[in-house]
Amino acid sequence: MGMLHNLADLIKIKKDKMTILVLGLNNSGKSTIINHFKKPGDQSAIMVPTVGFMVEQFYSMAGVSIKAIDMSGATRYRNLWEHQFKNCQGIIYVIDSSDRMRFVVVKDELDLVLQHPHLCNRIVPILFYGNKSDAEDSLSSVKIAAALSLENIKEKPWHICTSNAISGEGLGEGVQWLVQQMRFAMLSNKDASKAKSKHTK
Amino acid sequence: MADGTPNWLHVEMEDENPHLTTLTSCMTLSDVQGDGYIRLLAADISLEDEAYEPSATLKVFRGLKIKQEQPLPGIPTSIESLYIDETEPKTPVIAVAIAESVLFYRHLKPYFKYTIPALDSDDLELEVWRKLPVVQADTHNALLESLKGIDHAKLSRKSQRLLQLTEAERPAFIKTHRDSAVGRVGTIVIMCCIKRVSSDANPPSHLMLATDTGHIFILEPQGFNLVYQGRTCSHETAVPSLLSVQGTYETDFCIVVATRNGGVYLLRKSNSEGQEIFKLSKPLTGLLLLPIDQTILASTMDNRYQCYSKRGKLLYQVQLESLPVCILPLTMTHLGITLVAVALRGGAVKFFLQRYQVDEFVLEETVDAMLYGRMGMEDHVLTLVTQSGQMIVKILRRVSRFEPRAEALAGRRLGASDNKLIDGSSILDKPKKSSIFVEQAAREKQQAKATYGSFQVELWRLRHTAARATINAINSSESTISGDLTHAPVKLSAEVCGSGPAFRLYLTVQNLSTFKMASNLTVLLHADRRHYAIQQTLSRLPSVLPGIPLRMDFEVVAVLDPMDKLPPSSLTLDNSLVRVMLMKAGQAKPLIAAAVTMPQSEAAY
Repeated sequence: MGMLHNLADLIKIKKDKMTILVLGLNNSGKSTIINHFKKPGDQSAIMVPTVGFMVEQFYSMAGVSIKAIDMSGATRYRNLWEHQFKNCQGIIYVIDSSDRMRFVVVKDELDLVLQHPHLCNRIVPILFYGNKSDAEDSLSSVKIAAALSLENIKEKPWHICTSNAISGEGLGEGVQWLVQQMRFAMLSNKDASKAKSKHTK
Repeated sequence: MADGTPNWLHVEMEDENPHLTTLTSCMTLSDVQGDGYIRLLAADISLEDEAYEPSATLKVFRGLKIKQEQPLPGIPTSIESLYIDETEPKTPVIAVAIAESVLFYRHLKPYFKYTIPALDSDDLELEVWRKLPVVQADTHNALLESLKGIDHAKLSRKSQRLLQLTEAERPAFIKTHRDSAVGRVGTIVIMCCIKRVSSDANPPSHLMLATDTGHIFILEPQGFNLVYQGRTCSHETAVPSLLSVQGTYETDFCIVVATRNGGVYLLRKSNSEGQEIFKLSKPLTGLLLLPIDQTILASTMDNRYQCYSKRGKLLYQVQLESLPVCILPLTMTHLGITLVAVALRGGAVKFFLQRYQVDEFVLEETVDAMLYGRMGMEDHVLTLVTQSGQMIVKILRRVSRFEPRAEALAGRRLGASDNKLIDGSSILDKPKKSSIFVEQAAREKQQAKATYGSFQVELWRLRHTAARATINAINSSESTISGDLTHAPVKLSAEVCGSGPAFRLYLTVQNLSTFKMASNLTVLLHADRRHYAIQQTLSRLPSVLPGIPLRMDFEVVAVLDPMDKLPPSSLTLDNSLVRVMLMKAGQAKPLIAAAVTMPQSEAAY
């Protein structure tokens, strides 16, 4: 029975709901990105700053049901982020690639996220969106990665891609990577827990 | 701070570092485009280029990049961004104070120019200017000499300029300026904003202007009317150098002005002439009126950071290592505190929470100008401009907390010795002398004799009046039955027993009324001290009931000469009296005043 269950897990992983946390500073385009993933009928035309957080449900192109927690990026709501760290399988970190002044804040907040005890010992894939690629002084993904010194993130899989949340450019590619990584992470986590349970027996 | 990470995140500058020469007052943050992105506006004053006159440019930064530039017609003293009305969408107006005018820009386009009212000039100066164009050139010198008699600061600008010119240049200057008005206009030295009413989202504001003639105006920027006119103080020489305002125009506000001489004056909405709160011997470099605790902070040239109450009491002071160049309040609404940033010469920037230093960072150069507030999308951005024109941007970490260090608090509890050292040399707390006090003190000194004489005359006159009133009161009640109808009638009879020198005086008090009780009575005996000694001269009586007589006795001893055992010679039959007064509590006049004649005393054995 147990083996059958494992098999089912392998095949029907799409039945699982994956929880993604969408983080980033205010005005970086988090809600706009989520809005783009929603069904055409549900999309809203005007975006307003998120208060607290919003929970959105959508299916990725691979057919995986994704629950996205769209956190507010406003300074006074950023302390709510850490409450969602425990039950998330993936993180999307949205960066306004044209707001060069605030890169230092982006980096500071990212460090706080990575150092949090609920995340530092788990394998949680992080996807960076260098958003607003259409803006005139936007930076390339390589430059953003250098500015945020992403190469120092060793224990978590990460990926950066430029995106334009208004046109939807670059969004799909990123989510595809994230879903794949989350699958790996879940499997390896399960293996790890299985190994652990065997070991204790 | 505890975990070693700084409270301020340093923003890395891009390759093309903007060069800026400016002052704290010439920097402001504004949503100029009305798109919700707050830009930094600064007047870049170029003084280096010797070949040209100093000029200024208004630069608009989006983030760290210069987006727009606008040449200004002069060197500004201050730049403010304000909202003038409630209409949506709200667009800010940029006010630039240059010399005697305020230029208003809307969407960075010139929109209005306001010039402060001219002051009346001296009659003599008017007369001179009437004569100058018509008289011969050789009489000009005499006229100019008469102009020099007037205080230079009170002359109009064209007269001041004329006095500087050489004789050859004068006729041409007089010819071109013969018809221009001889007005004296003050130069705006400080400009700041005051909110009209208190509300959160970009309330409309008024402009506060201080001129070098000591006037303080509040300009209402919709109709460009002056709605408040005040003066720093009654004398002309008080030139404001620093100003800080708190409150709202509609309810109440408080203005603190520091002058170039070191005096600090307080003006209120109800009081348009400044009152001196305190005076410092050293010039001030910064002045702040804090919003919550309403204390006045001053940084001075003798490296001190001082805090005063509005009454001028020194609350605390901190000795700094070097000269404070500029100070800036940082209101952190999310923490509910107001920090004060003090930039010192040498590049250190210190942050104070009340008297405690809570943070510090050191830059390579002295900071000349500071600006704090919402910039771009970030709420707490500190922009610093150094002496060489380098712009440094720091952003407050979200997780930063500012608390005084434990050892600072502990040191304070023990009564830190270095604090005491400073306190010792502080200003003496002397009482305020009113003009009437000074006047009277001077008069007393000059006419001491006459003052003393007239005081003595008045004193004797008072004593005489008092004595007369006493005699009258005693005489009018001289009977054995009280005549006061409002109280129970009381009868007093006396009897003297003994042959001397010790006598016993028996008094009987009888209440003649049938139903009223006589209460709160006191008996007082009075005799000449030289003749009779009475052990007990005063006795409180119990309530006297109707019909029951109250008897009491007193010992009266006649005074005898110890040598010849005879009564003193001054004792005659007429004055061998003991006065007995029956008094009721709360009444000045005795009910009964009787005189008991004492028999002649036997000689003592």
